[in-house]
Amino acid sequence: MQVFGGFTQYVAVFENEAFWSSIGRVLLFGAVQVPIMLGIALILALLLDSPLVRGSKFFRLAFFAPYAVPSVIAAIMWGFLYSPNLSPFTGVTQSVDFLSAGNVLWSIANVVTWVYVGYNMLIIYSALLAIPSEIYEAARLDGASQLRIAWSIKIPLVVPALVLTGIFSIIGTLQLLAEPQVFQSFTSAVTSTFTPNLTIYSTASVPNISLAAAMSVVLALATFVLSFTVLKLTQRRTAA
Amino acid sequence: MTATSPRPAKTEKARRVGRDTAHSGIRESAASRTIAMAVMIVATLYFLTPIWWLLVASSKTRSDFTTTAPLWFADFALFDNIAALFDYRNAVFLRWLGNSALYAGVGALLATIIAAMAGYAIAKYSFRGRELLFNIILGGVLVPATALALPLFLLFSQVGATNTIWAVFLPSLVSPFGVYLSRIYAAASVPDEIVEAARIDGAGEVRTFFTVATRLMAPALVTIFLFQFVAIWNNFFLPLIMLRDESLFPVTLGLYVWNTQVSQIPDIRALVIVGSLLSIIPLILTFLGLQRFWQSGLASGGLK
Amino acid sequence: MAITTVARAGAMAALAALALTACSTGGTDAPGAAGGDCAPSDGPVELTFTSWLPGIDEAVAIWNDENPDVQVTVQTGPNGNGGTYQNFFNQLEAGNAPDLGQIEFDALPNFRVQDGLENIAACEGIVEAESQFVDWTWSQVTFGEEDAVYAIPQDTGPMALFYRADLFEAAGIEIPETWEDYRAAAAQIREEGGYINNFSQSDINAFAGLVWQTGGEWFTNDGDAWEVSLTGDESLQVAEYWQGMIEDDLVAKYPPWTDEWNAAYNSSEIWTWLSAVWGANTILSGAPDTAGNWAVAPMPQWEAGESAAGNWGGSTTAVLKGSDHPYEAAQFALWLNTDADALTAMNRTAQIYPATVEGADLPVFSEGVEFYGGQKIYEVFAAAGAEVDPDFTWGPTMTQVYNDVADGFSGALSGSGTLMDALESGQASTISALEAASIPVKE
Repeated sequence: MQVFGGFTQYVAVFENEAFWSSIGRVLLFGAVQVPIMLGIALILALLLDSPLVRGSKFFRLAFFAPYAVPSVIAAIMWGFLYSPNLSPFTGVTQSVDFLSAGNVLWSIANVVTWVYVGYNMLIIYSALLAIPSEIYEAARLDGASQLRIAWSIKIPLVVPALVLTGIFSIIGTLQLLAEPQVFQSFTSAVTSTFTPNLTIYSTASVPNISLAAAMSVVLALATFVLSFTVLKLTQRRTAA
Repeated sequence: MTATSPRPAKTEKARRVGRDTAHSGIRESAASRTIAMAVMIVATLYFLTPIWWLLVASSKTRSDFTTTAPLWFADFALFDNIAALFDYRNAVFLRWLGNSALYAGVGALLATIIAAMAGYAIAKYSFRGRELLFNIILGGVLVPATALALPLFLLFSQVGATNTIWAVFLPSLVSPFGVYLSRIYAAASVPDEIVEAARIDGAGEVRTFFTVATRLMAPALVTIFLFQFVAIWNNFFLPLIMLRDESLFPVTLGLYVWNTQVSQIPDIRALVIVGSLLSIIPLILTFLGLQRFWQSGLASGGLK
Repeated sequence: MAITTVARAGAMAALAALALTACSTGGTDAPGAAGGDCAPSDGPVELTFTSWLPGIDEAVAIWNDENPDVQVTVQTGPNGNGGTYQNFFNQLEAGNAPDLGQIEFDALPNFRVQDGLENIAACEGIVEAESQFVDWTWSQVTFGEEDAVYAIPQDTGPMALFYRADLFEAAGIEIPETWEDYRAAAAQIREEGGYINNFSQSDINAFAGLVWQTGGEWFTNDGDAWEVSLTGDESLQVAEYWQGMIEDDLVAKYPPWTDEWNAAYNSSEIWTWLSAVWGANTILSGAPDTAGNWAVAPMPQWEAGESAAGNWGGSTTAVLKGSDHPYEAAQFALWLNTDADALTAMNRTAQIYPATVEGADLPVFSEGVEFYGGQKIYEVFAAAGAEVDPDFTWGPTMTQVYNDVADGFSGALSGSGTLMDALESGQASTISALEAASIPVKE
């Protein structure tokens, strides 16, 4: 029995506190994790591209390898590494509770960072490779340090790649699902409404499919607005 | 979202920087070399320790797993564990590996071709609604995975295609990111003159694309293939919704299913750990294999 | 994260469908189908059966050999809340659900409310089968409706007290018979440096088992509307008891089903576990170093001399709405859950404990178990099964209840709020969840 219900479900979404606080939580997550992840990715990509590092082929593989680990499995592995008793680093995990309500968001951030740094690094790195070497050949002959070359030549040229990875990271953050879902089995600090996607998932399995669908539409719109805003802001800055 | 191609910029400014003496460059690079290598080694430890842990954990007997040092081998039972995994339920795990290889391999190949054609077309042809089309394609990445589950399932149900390989395979052929990357690379690396020349030589548009453009876009295509391969291989949400027949499962879904049974049949945990290890090995091998190809694609001057 | 676009593929068409879904109200019209007719089909029949029991195909193979005209194909998936229930709902919506599905007792009302179950009461031999099943299980599959049977009980989880016989003896502590004894024992064990139990923040159905034992009910349904009573007297009594244990640091707080939790049992840190019959195997595999040292006793009682028991877990085989062959499906479901060979096969591959009265007498349940010092532990569980209150009713939104109460319980364990607070907020959120799903609620 399907009746057009107007916007009643959308009204219910806006009144749903848990949904909005889950969005707030991932926004906080994204504001901290995305810059850190992209910063590391950029530094590693620049180092790989510089003549300072030997064996860059090996390092590239090593950094990218986590991307080959499915999110679910990555989360399970880190769950063990965080464990107070079973971790290889019990010295650390017994004094800091990585799975407590206050820390678990950042523990998940670390899992996401671990998986995706290599991936983002590769995108930035391929943008670096696309820079014709003549451009900084001259600077190098002039004796410019690698740091100067990186800062003044390479980074400005890979800004489009950074914007791209940044936007995809923002989208990914808003759609976090697998990692927190797995963490639910390690710690009850991850609630069923921890991220927007978890909220949608637990709403859909009530099943309150209509409300879950309305939440999805709102989340997609929010994602669009946010990534569009970031894009416009960065475009204005790079154009200036 | 607008495509912005990497273009040479600020070369003037670049030439002006760092007019130091030649000596300072050499002196600095000795110190920087050490720092750089230190950063690389720390990063390597960070990235590889968890995988090392998985390898070690896979090699342990069940009682050693909780009682011995997590980062070093105890009694080496890796091959016993693998044998137990392959033996479990008529080697269903091998079947899952095969399915994943099929979905990811063929799926990524076709997805790459489709994305390349779309990206090339958007880069090289001007037509009404070009930007709109491109933005709609990119909009696809904004939709949450959980949101698509039911609608996709209902669509496939209407054509009776749930619980078939098509239900997993067809949605895997779409790669908005691939289209994005193809467009950038096509714009940057396929000069209009070459396309013109091919046309003048009498080559049709399709032939031009396959003989001229794909060669110039090769490095980007390998990258798209690689990412799509990983994405399909790692995806379990879509198969979870679509598939009921165990013999169609990809390896991630199979492992997830086993993982949900761990509380009931705890012996399965060891299988999940060994299975996880085996499921990431093909991906690492694919990356290794493609890395050479990718390198040669770059070296042959596709982008320089 | 990032570009895992595969699931998002085909986005735009699907998004359009989605936006429409969001606009329609979540109607749950009352299902009208009564136990009308149920006739055999002509000619050979093929049935599909979705279950996540490991090795269920072995039992099904026996049926297929004996019934060449009714062939059953097994389909599998993750456990119910891991995705299979969601899949059932999707398939019911699309009209292509399997003929038969495994559904746990606590999820059955949800499927009933969503009109996902065929009433098989009119099918030959189904109503008559009532006497073969343990009392309380049958009321779970009829919902107390007249002329109605919505599923065949498969397995149960009668609860008892697993305890470390060696440690209790060495410390000179009596095996607790009442909850008062249990608390006293907890204090003594704490002095020995151990914990009597682990309070599981996420096994809300185990907590419900304790409330069940106490005689409480979380849900009642008078045929028109649901009454929610998470904050009923018995429920609060159980919550206050355990809240006291938590505040006095008498219970451990490991997240259950993790390796740490296993390790805590394996290292003798935790001395008892209030669990269901299937828990016997959990300990066996999770704490292998403690082999031979465990024993099983009936659950502690609120009043000395009582013998009330709770239940944790268990599932049914249901004929899902839209099956073309309800008669054959019902016959298969009945056979699967009553035939001695089928039950034995399912016990061997998945450790299920049958819901039939006779099932408790299968040879496998009459032997002593080495891990438990040779004790015939299944006698304890068979006795417990007979004491489970048949009136306990699950609600239609148990996933939500579990999630919400678990969120509150974890807060209570980390010191914010109490178990009673958790039940109170669970009560409120359950009522609003029911209302949001247009399910009538009695205030």
